Amino acid sequence: MKNISKPYSEEHRLWLNKRRGKLAIVWTLRVGLLLFFLLFWELSTRFGWVDPFFVSSPSRIAETIASLYTEGTLFYHIGVTLLETIVGFVAAVALGYGIALLLWWSDLLHRVLEPYIVVLNALPKIAMGPLIIIWCGTGSKAIVFMTILVGIIVVIMHMLSAFLETDENKLLLLRSMGANKLQLLTKLVIPSSRAAFISMLKVAVGMSWIGSIMGEYIVSRAGLGYLIVYGGQVFKLDLVMTATVILCALAAGMYFLVVLLEKILVKNTKN
Amino acid sequence: MKEKILKFENVKLIYHTVRGETVATENLSFEVEEGEFVAMIGPSGCGKSTLLSLAAGLLEPSEGTVARQGSVGYMLQRDELFPWRTIEKNILLPLEIQKKLTAEAREEAKKLAEKYGLKEFLGSYPAELSGGMRQRAALIRTLASKPDILLLDEPFSALDYQTRLNVTQDVAGIIRREHKTALLITHDISEAISLADRVIVLTGRPARVAHTHPLDFEETDPLKRRENRQFSVWFELLWKELNA
Repeated sequence: MKNISKPYSEEHRLWLNKRRGKLAIVWTLRVGLLLFFLLFWELSTRFGWVDPFFVSSPSRIAETIASLYTEGTLFYHIGVTLLETIVGFVAAVALGYGIALLLWWSDLLHRVLEPYIVVLNALPKIAMGPLIIIWCGTGSKAIVFMTILVGIIVVIMHMLSAFLETDENKLLLLRSMGANKLQLLTKLVIPSSRAAFISMLKVAVGMSWIGSIMGEYIVSRAGLGYLIVYGGQVFKLDLVMTATVILCALAAGMYFLVVLLEKILVKNTKN
Repeated sequence: MKEKILKFENVKLIYHTVRGETVATENLSFEVEEGEFVAMIGPSGCGKSTLLSLAAGLLEPSEGTVARQGSVGYMLQRDELFPWRTIEKNILLPLEIQKKLTAEAREEAKKLAEKYGLKEFLGSYPAELSGGMRQRAALIRTLASKPDILLLDEPFSALDYQTRLNVTQDVAGIIRREHKTALLITHDISEAISLADRVIVLTGRPARVAHTHPLDFEETDPLKRRENRQFSVWFELLWKELNA
């Protein structure tokens, strides 16, 4: 609805205030919960309730980050993992989207390949580990491959079901206008699946992190997954915790980028 | 003699499913002349929408012929406006599909929209419009490609009663003023009587023409027709035929 600018009533002003108040409480509690958790973690190791050797502590994580930084390897490891994840993510989304389009286009292809997709989806990708090492070597290539493998099936299944759910009546309408298949695709099927595209991206972001870290567990000489594995092997749990915390931050950052993209897309269409 | 815009001749259509086949229509023959407003009523489940798909050329008959002069404009139960397009872009959609979107055609379509009170909504999205306005926009979209015949598939049945009377009034007025040929399919007897020049009554499945009635009203205004004494006479007759 078009907003007609007029002064709000007192009741509306109060309602807005109340709403803002609730939002403030939610945020205070959110941040408070994190601070409480960090403080409790720190104190319980300081007072010796738990052994920091096993659970590390916020201050030890901060120290580890600082020492990685002075060694000059902090951003190197982050960069390696980030690059692998992003390349894998983009490739999985692009390839998966393309394959979903092909399967929408050809009903025959869709029906032929359906059981294979289902089986590939159910297969734990980690089982492919040895094969991937043999095919792609032990470098970043193998990790990107693993990331694509983990993400692509989800992208295909998610987008294909969105394409197939296109409103029958709108398809009928376009056909009555004389639309060909390409026009059905570009004028209706793709634009109407935009919401599904965004929700697919959110899932795919998570899948890419799983893929890249899993890949680094199997083969790697650098990256956050490597730090975790290495830290575990030499019992440097500070390192394991540090890499995990950084991973949390990165995954959250990438997720919020997608949310930002969603906001921009929604703003441009209002729907 | 007026030109026949649409002509069904002994049309038979069989629906195939894995479980078997259904004869949707058999020996169906009728015509729609240029400038005529024809309404078709039939018992529910007699395959009315199938007839429109045949008329639009989206389905091929199993037997018989469907001859059509010129292009069709289809209007469905719901407005089916694309929510990610503005009203203007929605209205231009058929021109876009048919690659007829010249500057001239665009201006003409916009003028048509302005003529029928959509000017201020051209930049709005469908979600910002009322149900009645949306259906009007859907009609303007249908008219934008200048179809030779309008195929109306119960275009008012999704609206509430009050909106429905208003939109019927609205749409009928526009179709009459633009001198369009129209084929309306409906299960609503009073809608058929209030709108059409001629009413065709169909039988149950397989659908055939049971009766044809040219309506003898002087006025074309749907609400005035509803007040006419003849209205209830026609209603009673068609009601009986429909339930025969």
